Amino acid sequence: MPPIVQQVIDALTATPPLAGYLIVGAIMFAIGTWGALIRRNAVVVFMCVELMINAVNLTLVAFGDFLPGEGGLGASYAVLVIAIAAAEIAVGLAIVLAVFRSRRTVNIDEVNSMRG
Amino acid sequence: MTVAFAFLAGMTLVSALGVVISRNVVHSALFMSGSLLGISGFFVMLNAPALAAFQVLIYVGAVTVVILFGIMFTQRPQARRFRTIINRQFWAGLLVALGVGGFLSYLLATEDWSDTSAGNGAVDVADFGNNLLGVSPGSEIFALLFEVASVLLLIAVVAAIVVSRRKSGEDVNRGAVDRGAE
Repeated sequence: MPPIVQQVIDALTATPPLAGYLIVGAIMFAIGTWGALIRRNAVVVFMCVELMINAVNLTLVAFGDFLPGEGGLGASYAVLVIAIAAAEIAVGLAIVLAVFRSRRTVNIDEVNSMRG
Repeated sequence: MTVAFAFLAGMTLVSALGVVISRNVVHSALFMSGSLLGISGFFVMLNAPALAAFQVLIYVGAVTVVILFGIMFTQRPQARRFRTIINRQFWAGLLVALGVGGFLSYLLATEDWSDTSAGNGAVDVADFGNNLLGVSPGSEIFALLFEVASVLLLIAVVAAIVVSRRKSGEDVNRGAVDRGAE
């Protein structure tokens, strides 16, 4: 096997560095931030918050796998984050449904009063 | 591994962009499930297979279905123009997002991670469970966090029922008139 092929195969099978996972998480967090800032539909804003939560989860798990002497606790924290995010999405969508029932809209630019 | 990493990164980030710029809300929800599926692939690569299973079950399964239910209850016609799905903060929001993403990426890329290596996590599911229940040394706080999370989930379920319950004799269309926006 020529050495250049071996080099390509080595590069393709190498373990990705920690910074790769962290940067993917950072970019995903930024995309979620952008969506949460610019979208009008409250349900889509929830989806973007989910994206941000998942980006943070990816960062937690990456640190938990890469940092020595940490014992993999990052993955356990990620489980707690998933539980809290599930609670958030349940309550949030219930609030969206209640708002829609009283106002016939989920456009968050129009929902600017707390009075039902 | 690099091939899998590139594939998963592309899938995750393209789907995440699709959530933001898709005009159809249902497409946004499906893009979100694709993005979360990519994250679960990352969890497999990071030696957390149990967490990847949780991710698929809870996010790709349950949360996507709940969001699709929410979309069905609050459905409106598909926006024909991109302009109508976004508010006036498009460029300011892009600036903020680029600032956050660029700053975090710069910080994380220039940091020296040379003393880290893959494979330190709890690959074994038994270790993962011991960590989560606070049994293994160093993770005692999780015994408390686990209980707090369970109480929080109970409160969330009750709150979701209470908030979204239709009260008897409630006037359905009070407040704002139907503007048909978005």
